[in-house]
Amino acid sequence: MRQPRTRTGGRTRRASIAGLLLAALVLTGCGPKVEAVTDLGADEGTPVEGGTATMALPPAATPNWIFPIGAPGYLATHNSAIQNLLYPPLFTPEENKSGKVTMDSPRNVAEKPRFSDGNRTVTITLKKHYRWTDGTPVTADDVRFWFELIRANKNDWGGYSPKLMPDNVKKFELLGKHSFRLHLDRGYNPDWFVASQMESIKPLPRHAWSKKGEDPKKVFKRLLSHAKQLSKFDSDPLWKTTMGPWRVEKWTTSGVVQLVPNKRYAGPDKPHLDRVVLKPFTTAGSEFNVLRSGGLDYGYIPPSVMAQSEHFKKTGYRVEPWDSWGITYIVPNLNNPRTGPLIRQRYLRQALQSLIDQKSVAEHVWHGSAQPTLGPVPAALMDGNPFPYDPAKARRLLTGHGWKRGDDGTLRCAEPGTGEGQCGKGIGKGRRLALELLSQSGSTESSNTMQEIKSSFSRAGVSLQVREQPLNTVLGTTVPCKPEELVCSQWEMGFFGTAGSWIFPADPSGEKIFASGGPSNMGNWSDPETDRLIKRTEYSDDPSALRDYARHLAREVPVLWTPNPAYQVSVIRNDLRGVDQNPTLTLAPQDWYFVKKNGKSGARGGGKGAGQ
Amino acid sequence: MTAEAAPVSGEGPVGSGALEEAGALGKGPGAAGGSGAGGESGATPSLARRTLAVFTRNRLALLGAGVLAALLAFCFLGPFFYHTDQVHTDLDQASLAPGSHGHPLGTTDVGYDMLGRLMHGGQTSLEVGLAAGLLATLFGTVYGAVAGYFGGWVDAVLMRITDAALAIPALFLLVVVAAIVTPSKPVLILIIASVAWLSPARLIRGEALSLRSRDYVHAMRLMGGGGGRAVFRHILPNAVGTVIVNATFQIADAILYVAYLSFLGLSIPPPAADWGSMLSSGITYTQVGYWWLIFPPGLAIVLVVAAFNFIGDGLRDAFDVRLQKN
Repeated sequence: MRQPRTRTGGRTRRASIAGLLLAALVLTGCGPKVEAVTDLGADEGTPVEGGTATMALPPAATPNWIFPIGAPGYLATHNSAIQNLLYPPLFTPEENKSGKVTMDSPRNVAEKPRFSDGNRTVTITLKKHYRWTDGTPVTADDVRFWFELIRANKNDWGGYSPKLMPDNVKKFELLGKHSFRLHLDRGYNPDWFVASQMESIKPLPRHAWSKKGEDPKKVFKRLLSHAKQLSKFDSDPLWKTTMGPWRVEKWTTSGVVQLVPNKRYAGPDKPHLDRVVLKPFTTAGSEFNVLRSGGLDYGYIPPSVMAQSEHFKKTGYRVEPWDSWGITYIVPNLNNPRTGPLIRQRYLRQALQSLIDQKSVAEHVWHGSAQPTLGPVPAALMDGNPFPYDPAKARRLLTGHGWKRGDDGTLRCAEPGTGEGQCGKGIGKGRRLALELLSQSGSTESSNTMQEIKSSFSRAGVSLQVREQPLNTVLGTTVPCKPEELVCSQWEMGFFGTAGSWIFPADPSGEKIFASGGPSNMGNWSDPETDRLIKRTEYSDDPSALRDYARHLAREVPVLWTPNPAYQVSVIRNDLRGVDQNPTLTLAPQDWYFVKKNGKSGARGGGKGAGQ
Repeated sequence: MTAEAAPVSGEGPVGSGALEEAGALGKGPGAAGGSGAGGESGATPSLARRTLAVFTRNRLALLGAGVLAALLAFCFLGPFFYHTDQVHTDLDQASLAPGSHGHPLGTTDVGYDMLGRLMHGGQTSLEVGLAAGLLATLFGTVYGAVAGYFGGWVDAVLMRITDAALAIPALFLLVVVAAIVTPSKPVLILIIASVAWLSPARLIRGEALSLRSRDYVHAMRLMGGGGGRAVFRHILPNAVGTVIVNATFQIADAILYVAYLSFLGLSIPPPAADWGSMLSSGITYTQVGYWWLIFPPGLAIVLVVAAFNFIGDGLRDAFDVRLQKN
């Protein structure tokens, strides 16, 4: 409760206000000068072995799952990135020199798979030199162990989609100690099958995790009970038997993970560093403060600070956006009872797409850390943009279909009907062209993107109401739905793409996001031609399959394409090298190394053990 | 004064006592109520003159009034003389420094003219702040007066509700409510007023406890006057000093609440703006050196809050009878 003031009280208040003003001036304008963390440039120095590198995890990301079979709710990118360092998959996605992601990495645990019998069978041979940390060789039976666990517990596996792995494997045939064959339910496109279906297959240590002949359900249950004991991830003997380049030294409940090299690792990519520390942060702000104080070797900055990248370059860092193999879009809910009839009109979606100035948004709002999305596959695979920013074309499309401006400046349907030059099915005379967008909050860049789109729509007579909610609320609301369901009336358009709306595995197929009934087909897009083209990408290895699918959907505009932001704008110390920012968001710290200058230790990572 | 009233009556500003004292001692013509109804009605012309004289002697209060008048003129009259488009973005003009391309205060990160936006945002902040502050004061005053005058179980129930509401951190409540509903001006006014009324309610309740035992109230009751008349014709008019002083602080607090909520991302959606949301988006660019996105809205908030506080201090002195000279 406010107390009555005295004259002294008033003076105190005035003094406080003056003090606040002064403090604001000092805080915003007169920060301390930061010393450079290294005097090395971005490409000088001599490589050295050893050292500790500290990397920041994304904001609010706390690693909490070590078991290499992800349970629902534990599929976060940072979890799988760490698991793959301990239990590498048979095939690892990697970007080639032409910017495409392939599965032909030299760090693959298996040789290139051989497809036969009309692509109905696939034979895989493991590289023979891999061993578990206890010295036991890695065998094909360890892969069968993974398959048995998945098949017996598929509903507890977060990566399960009906009719796909393991349903599409009729038989797992062991051919020898290091080779096996999968008999599939039909012929598949080899590229799609390896990238989308085999990416999760990995050898697991049957000898350490299961008794002979033990029921896979019982084994899985036991492993799950261990996997839920976060405080024992670094001490439980179960997780000590690994085969990847790293092993866990420390894993705290607060999310700090320390990895040290696995001395028995037999792959070609042996670690150079002594230790890698992955540090969690509750917010991007706290991470930024630690980064500025020199407490991180590998961190990130908000896109808005890109304009100040020179500051980081002067203090010994390089700034490199980490582009993802993904696409970003606004999802229109085609089943919304109110606006569904509007959005189901293809000309309308095309007009709205022509009103989004992706190039300017990427350049000015995302400060160059985003790239336009051109269709349903990453931009590198698209051969054109059928709907670049063209407000005049958008206006022509709308007026050409019977829309006229009302007194409030918003378009209204003047020519109802389904004929040429008319508004379309389900749109009555006088219907306002007004939409509501549920967008994720917490990002200046996303808010500004939506502000720009709203402004552009408004100029063309389309009213857009933007409602911002936290990401989890948006994700919980923008779900696939039927028109009669209550949730379908609760959202008209949705945006959840501050870090990209969809990140692909190596093969950017669309069965999950645009096929009828797909688990992540939030907008309820259903089109027989799209379904046919998606099936073709799954079954046929003809390169035209993916191209035809991409062209068709780019023209149909099932969602409104918006700039695809970088996963993060990375800031890396100049003396930390070998950092390859894989677009599928995997980590490979075994490739990292420090450099020193003129035979002397670098400022941080120089000699063995430096900086620990 | 009753024993019950004693501990709380001291919470009220002395201004309330001033009117009552003037009336009781018959210092001013008609102070006892020109209508002859005891404490009914408030200040006489000479009392108003004396109040104004004390207020004008307080230089900071005058400065506050001047600053407030200037800010009101800037926000509400400024757009008539300085025309800008505050609806459509212009990315080609984004983040321009002050003075460039006809933008005296530069542009925002989506190309709005900063000076025009400051006027535009000020309208929202002042409108919401004034309305929420006055609404909270009005409701809290009536609520407190009813509780204090009737006493007994009415007071106990009403005040326990107030205590319970006070126990919930206001900011937490604001964030939760604003996250559920889509913020708009009327919604923001209601949300802020719904947490801000608690303070005036407790304050006026203390006043009412003191005033209800005055002779003129007893006289009115003996003549057959009801509770409503007592509250609205005797208690509230005699607590008007406390109410007015408190209203100025409530308005200042409400403006700060608007800024808090906007800073937490719970502002009225763009293209609408308020000083808090402008400051919030400006802070994103602290490291880039875009000072013009931070200082103008920040200073505007400080100025308007300080102005209301100075005016409040001046009014408190003005209602203090001990500082008034005949």
